[in-house]
Amino acid sequence: MTDSTDKLFNPGDYFTYVLDQEIRNAGMPGGYCGFALQLAEAPDLSGLQRRLDLLVERFPQASAVIQPRGKRFAWVATGNPIPLELHQCQSSADEADETQRLLLEIFNRPESRPLTVHWIAGADGGTLLLIWLHPLLDARGCKILLDFLSAERPESFKESPSLIEAKLAQWSFWKKLQLFFKAKRHNTAANSLDSCLPTQVEQGPQVLRLKVQRFDADQSQRIAKLAQQYTGLTGRTLYYLGCFMRAMELVGPPAAKDGYCIPYAFNLRRQNAPTPVFGNHIGCLFARATRQQVRDRNGLFTHLLSEHKQVVRDELDLAYLPLMWLGQWLAPDKYAKVLRKQHSGGELSSLWFSDIGELSWNKKGFLGVPVTNLSLMCWMTLPPGLALLASQLDGKLVLSYSYLSPAIDEAWLDAVIAKMNSELLETPEN
Amino acid sequence: MKEKLKNFIFAELIYHEDPAAFGDDDNLLDAGLDSMGIMRLIMFAEKEFDVTLPDTEIEPDNVGSLNSLENWIRRSGHA
Repeated sequence: MTDSTDKLFNPGDYFTYVLDQEIRNAGMPGGYCGFALQLAEAPDLSGLQRRLDLLVERFPQASAVIQPRGKRFAWVATGNPIPLELHQCQSSADEADETQRLLLEIFNRPESRPLTVHWIAGADGGTLLLIWLHPLLDARGCKILLDFLSAERPESFKESPSLIEAKLAQWSFWKKLQLFFKAKRHNTAANSLDSCLPTQVEQGPQVLRLKVQRFDADQSQRIAKLAQQYTGLTGRTLYYLGCFMRAMELVGPPAAKDGYCIPYAFNLRRQNAPTPVFGNHIGCLFARATRQQVRDRNGLFTHLLSEHKQVVRDELDLAYLPLMWLGQWLAPDKYAKVLRKQHSGGELSSLWFSDIGELSWNKKGFLGVPVTNLSLMCWMTLPPGLALLASQLDGKLVLSYSYLSPAIDEAWLDAVIAKMNSELLETPEN
Repeated sequence: MKEKLKNFIFAELIYHEDPAAFGDDDNLLDAGLDSMGIMRLIMFAEKEFDVTLPDTEIEPDNVGSLNSLENWIRRSGHA
């Protein structure tokens, strides 16, 4: 029996919950993601707390707990407030280093709440850190949440039904079945190429670390131009993925196998829509290439783009939705195996990746304060133990690498990042 | 044709407070049409209007506005 205030997981929520459980079972905090906004000055912190109180009042899911409902799971409201947690950089330390140390200290601590908000005060401004549990919402939802916290008219933000379920409801039983088999065939093909991995380690205590690459406006424009040249208007994400595959291949993958497979999500939310606020509204796609394809830069982008187009032509972008819908009735560990393991038993993902796109507060800032910088972080399963989150702040590209230590060798990652930068900018050393 | 394109874009790809106020020459890319959205829009147009839109012509001049989209689809063979 489900109480009327309970909110059952949608298929996307359950998909991310399965990964959250796997991360927790490996001794890490869970499927948490973080957005850290560096602000030029302290915002009105009491105003922010009032807005957090309004958030819980309007959207009780923000401080809910997860409980099983038969074979499924639901958010159950607690009414607990979300306190704005205050932290202070030590004045003696380098502020950027100290902020990063505090960010990671907070992000590494055990947590069960779905959403926490922190203000890390520096000498002038500071950093606002919003950490959320992935089953609660996706990255675009997090931007909506930040917009809600900063909005002049918060009443314009409304919840709406799951976009995945709305899409599924449009299709006949036969259409769902047809898409299900399409996705299954595609999945089998994805599983046929054993993936190179950034580590050979599969267990043991880990801490999450972060490396952030920020590109200036000129560099970002150059990368955008090159992305358009190589992958056209339809494939900016593919440019990042291709460059990363090449960087990893050129440095040498610690677990060398047949090729690379990087899953990437596409969002069913409409661009700029303030609704739905919560829930995961995502489908899944895969960028795959053999090691030989990766070694030929031009050929790689042609291959990735043509595969991407074929996938959309074949409706495979939507085909995973019926698969995710059925997955809701599998136990988390069973579903995780379907999601992550290849036929050979190895890990499918060479990397966790998300392209969050343009994040901008340039008109009015966040609560009236200019956002001067940004970094993103997320926990991931081991393997692969490495995640790349791409975003742009006011047109400037930011690449945030979250990685598990000691599983990922830091010197190796530094070399991959340097190679990635030169691949993105197509600098002469290529 | 333009109406069908507009309905698809604002129902599936981009949020706009008042789609009726979005002009035929207004910039779709500035309004938030992203790479995945362009791809889905092209697939929709090919199916709906029974044309093949050449990959080499997927550029801002052809997908930047409702008018340019319509012109591109007509040039590509839709009567």
